[in-house]
Amino acid sequence: MESSELERFEAVVLPHLDAAYTLARYLTRNDHDAQDIVQDASLRALRYFGSFRGTAVGEGRAWLLTIVRNTAYTWRQRHRGDTLTTEFDEERHSDTVADEHPEAVAEAQSERAALRRAIDELPPEFREVIVLRELEGLSYKEISDVAGVPVGTVMSRLSRARRRLEEALCADPEDR
Amino acid sequence: MTHPAFEAQLDAYLDDELAAPDRAELEAHLRACPACSRLERRRRALSVALREQLARFPAPQTLRARVRAGARAEASRTALRRVPYWEALAVAASLAVVAFGSWRLALRGAAGEAITNQVLASHVRSLMPGHLTDVLSSDQHTVKPWFNGKLDFSPPVYDFAGGGFPLVGGRLEYVDGRAVAALAYSRRQHVINVFLWPAEPGRTQGPRAGTRQGYHLLHWVTPVYTYWVASDLGLAELRDFVALLQRGDSAAAATVR
Repeated sequence: MESSELERFEAVVLPHLDAAYTLARYLTRNDHDAQDIVQDASLRALRYFGSFRGTAVGEGRAWLLTIVRNTAYTWRQRHRGDTLTTEFDEERHSDTVADEHPEAVAEAQSERAALRRAIDELPPEFREVIVLRELEGLSYKEISDVAGVPVGTVMSRLSRARRRLEEALCADPEDR
Repeated sequence: MTHPAFEAQLDAYLDDELAAPDRAELEAHLRACPACSRLERRRRALSVALREQLARFPAPQTLRARVRAGARAEASRTALRRVPYWEALAVAASLAVVAFGSWRLALRGAAGEAITNQVLASHVRSLMPGHLTDVLSSDQHTVKPWFNGKLDFSPPVYDFAGGGFPLVGGRLEYVDGRAVAALAYSRRQHVINVFLWPAEPGRTQGPRAGTRQGYHLLHWVTPVYTYWVASDLGLAELRDFVALLQRGDSAAAATVR
């Protein structure tokens, strides 16, 4: 590979590592596996980089996320059993809430924890459309490319995922 | 409009993915139907909550470094394929002279076994997220001085990026009852750990290879340093790496004399 090609790869792919890692974290619910998947996916991306013709920033992101998603699904098949039962760290990302109003903090944290739990309990096909839409802001067309399903399926999965989240959040106070 | 179909349409509407005629029809329905406009408010609230509350996970620095190192290594590996045939042959011949003995010969006795286990444990621990490096740099002139004041020797640090084994960084480890230098190199997605500390005089020995828990361990002793190398990389490539290290050391020794 020419060094200019490597530079182009680094310019197109490396800016999207946060998005790649976030998707991998939600798919695996595990830091260690997510790191391995992103690393593996980046190398695959490098190997197939010759076939990537995109120029816009969003194209690079959707392309990398597609590879991350496929790597994660292959990974899950290979390691079926371990990755799905790995526990998810409940408190780690609750620390950004301001601490001046303890009640507000507790409420925000419990809302956040409830959301997290609800997301984690979704099937991965639902979880990924939520992450791609709500966190990454991908269009239905881009999500359809990443997940390899028609736009109509994206639309119905998103809707069903949201309904499940709403139900889970409404039911949640009685659980606690 | 049936309820589930309406719900999906509403979601597409809120995502700004609905075509204009459908949008007009849906907006008219929302104005007329309190139940559906309650649903709309719940969906908007959910979307806000998701965007505000759902954690984003920034890629850890070690992951960035691993990805970058892996990409460099992969790029130089594919570039290597283009070297002329006779040149590749000459390189292969020069590597073949590095002889490897068997594992048992190298590690007689409980002391050797204990060090093997310590090296293996350090290697495995280093692969857990965030443990690979204390000083993260692919620049040997950053990594080497980092050890000043932390060790009673200044370990040789090489940059083998040209040979397809870029330096990732260094850290301190504790092996055989002393602080030792650990250097991390990478090859594609594989991490190679090099552990070294000053050798006892007169113990020089050539490289020996063995496998523990799926990791390859190599060990040799130069007149100056005791070396251990641990990795899940294939043995053939690890031997290439060891040959690079040995050549680096003998070049360094030659300039001192």
